Amino acid sequence: MTILRRDFLKGTAAAIALSVLAGPVRAAQSGGGEEKWIKGVCRYCGTGCGVLVGVKGGKAVSIKGDPRNHNQGLLCLKGAMLIPVIYSEDRILKPMIRKGGKNDQLTEVSWEEALDFAANPFKKALAEAGPASIAYYGSGQALTEESYVANKMWKAGFKSNNVDGNPRLCMASAVAGYITTFGKDEPMGTYNDIDAASCFFIIGSNTSEAHPVLFQRIAKRKETSPDVKIIVADPRRTNTSRIADVHVSFKPGTDLALMNGMAHVIIREELDDARFHGKYCNFVKGNDPVNFEEYKKFLDDYTPEKVESITDVPAATIVKIARMFAESKGTVSLWCMGINQRVRGVWANNLIHNLHLLTGHICRPGATPLSLTGQPNACGGVRDVGALAHLLPNGRMVENEAHRKEMEALWNLPPGTIAPKMGRHTIALFEGMTAGDVKAVFIHCTNPAHTLPNLNKLTKGLQTAFVVQTECFKTAETLKYADVVLPAAFWCETDGVYGCTERRYSLTEQAIKPLGESRPALEILMDFGKRVGVDPKLIPYQNASDVWEEWRLLSAKSVYNFAGITRARLKKESGVKWPCPTENHPGTYLRYVRDDDPMVPKDHPNKVFFYGKPDGKAVIFLRPYDPPFEPADAEYPFVLTTGRVIDHWHTATMTGTVPELRKAYPGAYVEINPEDAKKLSIVNGDPVVLETRRDKLTFPARITDTCMPGLVFTPFFDPKLMVNKLFHDAADPISKEPEYKICATKVYKVS
Amino acid sequence: MASVKKTLLIGLFFAAVCVGGFFVYINAAFPTVRCEAAKVTHLNAPEDLSDCASCHAKTTPRDAQDWKESKHGVLLVKCFVCHGQPDGKGAIPFNAKPEYKTVCGACHEPAMNRMAAKYGEVGDCHTCHPRHQNPIHRNAFEAKTVTDKTSF
Repeated sequence: MTILRRDFLKGTAAAIALSVLAGPVRAAQSGGGEEKWIKGVCRYCGTGCGVLVGVKGGKAVSIKGDPRNHNQGLLCLKGAMLIPVIYSEDRILKPMIRKGGKNDQLTEVSWEEALDFAANPFKKALAEAGPASIAYYGSGQALTEESYVANKMWKAGFKSNNVDGNPRLCMASAVAGYITTFGKDEPMGTYNDIDAASCFFIIGSNTSEAHPVLFQRIAKRKETSPDVKIIVADPRRTNTSRIADVHVSFKPGTDLALMNGMAHVIIREELDDARFHGKYCNFVKGNDPVNFEEYKKFLDDYTPEKVESITDVPAATIVKIARMFAESKGTVSLWCMGINQRVRGVWANNLIHNLHLLTGHICRPGATPLSLTGQPNACGGVRDVGALAHLLPNGRMVENEAHRKEMEALWNLPPGTIAPKMGRHTIALFEGMTAGDVKAVFIHCTNPAHTLPNLNKLTKGLQTAFVVQTECFKTAETLKYADVVLPAAFWCETDGVYGCTERRYSLTEQAIKPLGESRPALEILMDFGKRVGVDPKLIPYQNASDVWEEWRLLSAKSVYNFAGITRARLKKESGVKWPCPTENHPGTYLRYVRDDDPMVPKDHPNKVFFYGKPDGKAVIFLRPYDPPFEPADAEYPFVLTTGRVIDHWHTATMTGTVPELRKAYPGAYVEINPEDAKKLSIVNGDPVVLETRRDKLTFPARITDTCMPGLVFTPFFDPKLMVNKLFHDAADPISKEPEYKICATKVYKVS
Repeated sequence: MASVKKTLLIGLFFAAVCVGGFFVYINAAFPTVRCEAAKVTHLNAPEDLSDCASCHAKTTPRDAQDWKESKHGVLLVKCFVCHGQPDGKGAIPFNAKPEYKTVCGACHEPAMNRMAAKYGEVGDCHTCHPRHQNPIHRNAFEAKTVTDKTSF
């Protein structure tokens, strides 16, 4: 009997070994009686999980993960609760305008009236002050087709390069990191690398809360192969570090020194792959080429002992993690806003790439530097489309004459149409609005009055300029400043493509009709554009499929080639990874690798070819440690950092409508280390003031050792406690991405 | 009759001492957690009632600790995903002992089907898989001994 029981248990264990790893939720809502299931992509983060929306009687009733997409049927708790968001009472269902200026109330009007009201100030500004006086502020949540059309309307139609958006605030440093190191944007690896890695280096990312489905995949890798090592480097001991072998808690803002220290150990202990970096890499200091010996000499400043004095990480730990990184069969690095949202975000990105290039942990299965993204379509929709002030489609640059000429030819424009100077990046755009240089702005699918840094300063621009906004939810803070609110159809009420972190394009198909009078944003944009004066021949599209067709064929003229990803194919398949030049191409797993990446000639002499660079070699940069813009000092002795929680997404306009998510985290709080709390006589729940050089706010205290002593954290989702009021707006000089992760603050209890 | 009353009174006094002692102990053992449980009832939960775990670390510490150490805890599959929201106004029905076919099945249906095909119906999931237990490096069907940790 005992044997039988044991056998039974063993059998049970084998049967459930893979399936029981619950984690993210496979289908939290059970509608029942669905008439059809419509394929799509989750509305939230950049993981890009496939979903199936259950429809009954013309209404969306349930959602489940798409078993054929990379998430294999799993969703996180936010994604699993997307349906109530559609039918939220907060939906905006009619156009609204403020007839009597900023102080007037928003009143509901017809679409005709709203669009005319929106277009006139743009026409006036164009006529009186020229193309630089109008702007488009877009989003990594907009559909690819929308961003493509907006970009084309502005840069080709209005001849204005003032096209920027919230990806400037989250991924611009990652873009510049990839471009400076490899010549082209977007990662070379994919999520498949997670399943093959033997070491993970997670830095500046709370994967478990910001990307739960990927975290589950990493945890599963660790569970099935316990030898897999996980290094989590983060000043906060977040939930992500619960699966870590080593949690490296460094002094905020010192990670550049940490990574140079790791490189020092790797070279000193001859753990580098000299064959790889000898063949495939150049060494560069600033803009000047140097050699390996000079790089070694540069790293002499980063001995583990010296790095310990900068970072507060024990020298032995630096040696340990450098060995773990280098000695594994394959290392995957994952990072997110902790690296990107920094005044030296681009350098920090370069240093991660350095570690991979030095050790040869790149362009092999299970070995890649993979930048995680926060929004569902920042990669495909904004980076690839080129919907930023300095970019043109497919990695082309505004200030490169040859690139402008290429785009003018591809878009059938007279030579010289595209303005030669880059437009205003986000901070400059809102400053320009305050100064009156930018007179009218079209804000699409984002909530800058909550998400901009140094809010008290930058929202002045929204009070000054004429603001047109497309928005779905009444709770968006930016509505307070909008002169015109145009209700866009939400998520599965329209169709369009999202491109996620791993170069995967997936189609969200229309499952239900737009609610109320809301309309697909693509239609809104084109109607608006034509009213302002865009040549209708420039935007001759009937629907999103027409836009995709043009965009797909355009890509064939670049190394971002996805001409093989037709609309029909996207309807059939749950996402395809580019490059994908032909319809029978399966999509690319390893970019820059011969026989895998179709952009590498089949007869190329080298296995790896970084074709983004003229000589095909990637760059190992000599990037010194540079401190954050505003470190803690005697007057403001704490470091304030910010981030996400699992239950909410961005400004909570969506997650705040779901009772379960709202109640799990009803409001922001401040995390304080028990040591600091004791010194300041603060106990759990006490009202605590955070005072910075910009403003002060009062948060309830949460005493926890998640934060190291000297560091405090608050999430940014809460519209009642907008932590961005406390932050400065200093930005990376290369990427222009602001440093949201570090500022100095006072912390004291309300007396 | 009087002796019965006296016994009852002594019993009541003893019970009060035990309950009081329990709360004194709990408050001493979990000094950083403030318990709102005494002030709220589940079906009348105020809007600002935060996550379940902070109260349940005190009221049902073993369950809370087991959850925290389980895969569900590591992956932040929070209480409401299975138990719903205390006021019953959310998308998931509030239930202290959720019905396994729909609740476990929401995530584990493929695995449950495989199990049923292999072993037949052997009761609900918890017949073999102890509630709230399933740490990441253990077999899912092994019951854990009582945790000796008190941190949460």
